[in-house]
Amino acid sequence: MAGAPPDAMRRVPLFAELSEGELEQVARLFKQRTFTAGETVAREGSGGAAFYLIESGKASVSVAGQQRAGLGPGDYFGEIALIDEGARSATITADDDLRCYGLTYWDFRPLVQENAAICWKLLQFMVGRLRAAEAREVA
Amino acid sequence: MTGVVPLAEAHDDSIYGSKAVGLGAAAREGLPLPPGVALSGDLVEAVASGADGAIEEVVRAARDLPVPLAVRSSAVDEDGADASFAGQHMTLLNVPTTDAINDAVREIWWSANSDSAITYRQRVGLFRRPSVGVVVQSLLDPDSAGVMFTQNPITGDDELMIEASWGLGEAVVSGVVIPDHFRVARSGEVLERTAGLKRIRIRALGGGGTCEEEVPAELAEQLCLDDAQLGELGALADRCEQVYGRARDVEFAFAGGSLYLLQCRAVTVAGA
Repeated sequence: MAGAPPDAMRRVPLFAELSEGELEQVARLFKQRTFTAGETVAREGSGGAAFYLIESGKASVSVAGQQRAGLGPGDYFGEIALIDEGARSATITADDDLRCYGLTYWDFRPLVQENAAICWKLLQFMVGRLRAAEAREVA
Repeated sequence: MTGVVPLAEAHDDSIYGSKAVGLGAAAREGLPLPPGVALSGDLVEAVASGADGAIEEVVRAARDLPVPLAVRSSAVDEDGADASFAGQHMTLLNVPTTDAINDAVREIWWSANSDSAITYRQRVGLFRRPSVGVVVQSLLDPDSAGVMFTQNPITGDDELMIEASWGLGEAVVSGVVIPDHFRVARSGEVLERTAGLKRIRIRALGGGGTCEEEVPAELAEQLCLDDAQLGELGALADRCEQVYGRARDVEFAFAGGSLYLLQCRAVTVAGA
């Protein structure tokens, strides 16, 4: 089947406010990707090309050499790279064969540019994150 | 969608990528290539997306190619892209069946869209969406293979410089052996033949992929090309220069007693 399952995408906060139709438009842009056991999925500091939603398998996460909580089916990473292509904030390594759905910046950007409703919902999500970060700073 | 064509029909590098079009020129001129097909960037995109009919189109076009297969990227969107993207885009050797092409094509699409490829594009100021075609060819099981420069890339002299080893040429390209080294004058006179140290060779595995295999001790320091084969390479160098122009970097293989051209690019002379 082409694209990612919309149900799995609904759990991603970035997409949570999208309508069924909008979610299906985004879902169709995903492509399957499999990383083999031991493969580096993302390297801390490297440019980020895509957002990934894990379908099956497990991955280890480290930041500045320190192990963090691992990732498994239903987890996701790289959503901010969809908007700014910024550097990866963690190194992620496949523990076993890791099947993902991936969405690249190149595929996502034209959809958002052409669809003001989706763009507005993403903007609201990002502002929500900004407010939460500011609140943490004040506290 | 432009789809998939025999290599000889790959004319437009904005559709099929520079590697496919380069091989297409060789096929039209009758140079000895392993049989193959070229997939357009659009078709590769469709296969990677799982689009209905796209995978079937590729499998149908490739089903007459003897397996196993080599599946290589052919960058579409920039001048000289294959050279500048060396190491970013992927080659998958020994894809065991036509049905497995689907996964190989998807992996190649992702290799052009990987974090490292995007980082590279950012560094060189390329902000366009990557596009990648694919070349699917029968993978040879060569006795020996290597690289030939039709102009000495170090001195610039008008002579052939050849480096070769046992098995697949990836042993030479990846540097896992010290290859045999030859210099051959335009007249055909062999100016230098120096045996390397070739303790391993790379072979195709039955189920897909490749392995490093130990070479019998008596072969490790034995020259892997004889003078007759050097003569055949001299003739191939002349034909490549007639088709592509002077100063070529040629990947070749000898399999089943025949010489094959695998790739032909412009030489980059040291210091240039």
